[in-house]
Amino acid sequence: MTKRANTMLKIKNLSIRVGDKDILRKINLEIKKAEIHALLGPNASGKSTLVYTMMGFPGYQIIEGEINFKGKNIGSISIEERAKLGIALAFQHPPIIKGIKLSKLLEKISKQVINIKEFPIKSDLLSREINVGFSGGERKLSEIMQIISLSPSLVIFDELDSGLDVEMLEKLAIIIKDKLLNNDVSILLITHRGVASSIFLSQILLML
Amino acid sequence: MENLYVLRKIGKICGKLLGNMDMKNVKNVKSINYYQIDYNVNKIFEREGAVIFSSPEAYKKLRWTRDYFKQEPKEGYFIWVKKSIDCPLTTCITISSPKVIQKPENLVVIEKNVEVKIQSICNASKKNLEGKHTGCSKIILRENSVLKMKHFHSWGKRDWVESSLEFFLGKGAKLSHTYKCLEIPMKLKIENDTYLKENSSSNLIITILAKDGEVDMHDSTFLNGRESNGISRLRMIGDKRSKIVARSQMVANDAGTGHVDCMGLLLSKNSSIQAIPELINRNKDALLTHEASVGKISEETLNYLRSRGLTEDEAIDLIVTGFLGEEEPIIIKGRIVPSKLYM
Repeated sequence: MTKRANTMLKIKNLSIRVGDKDILRKINLEIKKAEIHALLGPNASGKSTLVYTMMGFPGYQIIEGEINFKGKNIGSISIEERAKLGIALAFQHPPIIKGIKLSKLLEKISKQVINIKEFPIKSDLLSREINVGFSGGERKLSEIMQIISLSPSLVIFDELDSGLDVEMLEKLAIIIKDKLLNNDVSILLITHRGVASSIFLSQILLML
Repeated sequence: MENLYVLRKIGKICGKLLGNMDMKNVKNVKSINYYQIDYNVNKIFEREGAVIFSSPEAYKKLRWTRDYFKQEPKEGYFIWVKKSIDCPLTTCITISSPKVIQKPENLVVIEKNVEVKIQSICNASKKNLEGKHTGCSKIILRENSVLKMKHFHSWGKRDWVESSLEFFLGKGAKLSHTYKCLEIPMKLKIENDTYLKENSSSNLIITILAKDGEVDMHDSTFLNGRESNGISRLRMIGDKRSKIVARSQMVANDAGTGHVDCMGLLLSKNSSIQAIPELINRNKDALLTHEASVGKISEETLNYLRSRGLTEDEAIDLIVTGFLGEEEPIIIKGRIVPSKLYM
């Protein structure tokens, strides 16, 4: 396999502006296939800005540098195109979407069928409206189920460990290892505490 | 002959529509219990446990019904349910000729301890008929009776529609009323009044998708007995060139509980929604609550769904479908289509 084929994500000299404020300057990051990296930094250090820019959310302006994914500069393509290329984001605070059941969303987005029995969820979770009254753990499980159903190549976990006890975090870690890492998926953990990164023994990039 | 053709065509549409509304027993025109096209009653099909007449016939044959009609009715249906019925009763009032002015006056009486489902359709068979429909319905639920009612409207862009519904709930009666109009006329006026006695409960859900027209809605629930419970939910979507004004009022005259919930979603710049929830409490032991929101689809939700691979249109479609209630089909140009294709 060539070096280029091995590289899943390469961020080169990336500078980002939000509104009229420069938030990040000259960020570099390379993640290869099946690697786990952790982005560790305190609140307001720009972690989320980097993630949202990687996903292509409106309002995050690249003023310098490039984001290459699978060898392609994705800086100007839409959010859904990035998702289809294989980038998936597990949100820290996913929005409440009334009227739509989790099962309906999974039916709409799934690229692969997931076996619900493999997830430690209550049987009614799928028939509930997305994130309406979900506990912290149920939200994370809902995110992970959606992510796995997308068959991604790179998954960004935004504060995976927030609001979870150690027992639930370990359960999620087992699912992530089994369903993602064992399938050569690359992972970027965004965290300000480092608990999640220690579970996965990842390479750590500090943002200070 | 022409009427027969229209009857068949509409029967097919209604049958499909109702079939998709989870009412598997209604497959075609044969399953419709009262069928009115323009001014004419085309069919009355009684079912064991229920007496069904046209309203003029009921007025003549059953003197007691005169207490409920404001005046001698010219059109409309009368349904008197004496025993519980598993299969839903279905009514359909259709405009199929140009410039028809319909004024159906309907009366439904459900006897004590009886449970029944009713599905009611009022529509125009074509989109350019310039018809007027002024429907007036009175629904009486005697003690401990249960009614689950689905009410569906679908109109042409040049029609004019006024619909008035009054529900009278006896002690311990339970009402679930779902109203949907996803194809509004040029002007739609809705007035609903629900009166609750002791221990009775009502749950009203009104869903409207407005495009190229105006909607004026007034919905009032009166808690007139102890332990009565009223819930009123309005779901409104304002699409292109539309205006919705919705007043939803909960009035506690006795120690009951009531909740009003008005939600509006604006999809277009040239549309407006005015939601006015109103709570009037005249009893210190009553509890009334409300929530209301009118706005556009949040960018956060759109981004979230797009990050799952849905395009912006697909994401809006999914949100709107959820808002309108999942898996309800609608009639467009005489065909049943999923609401997502319409948006």
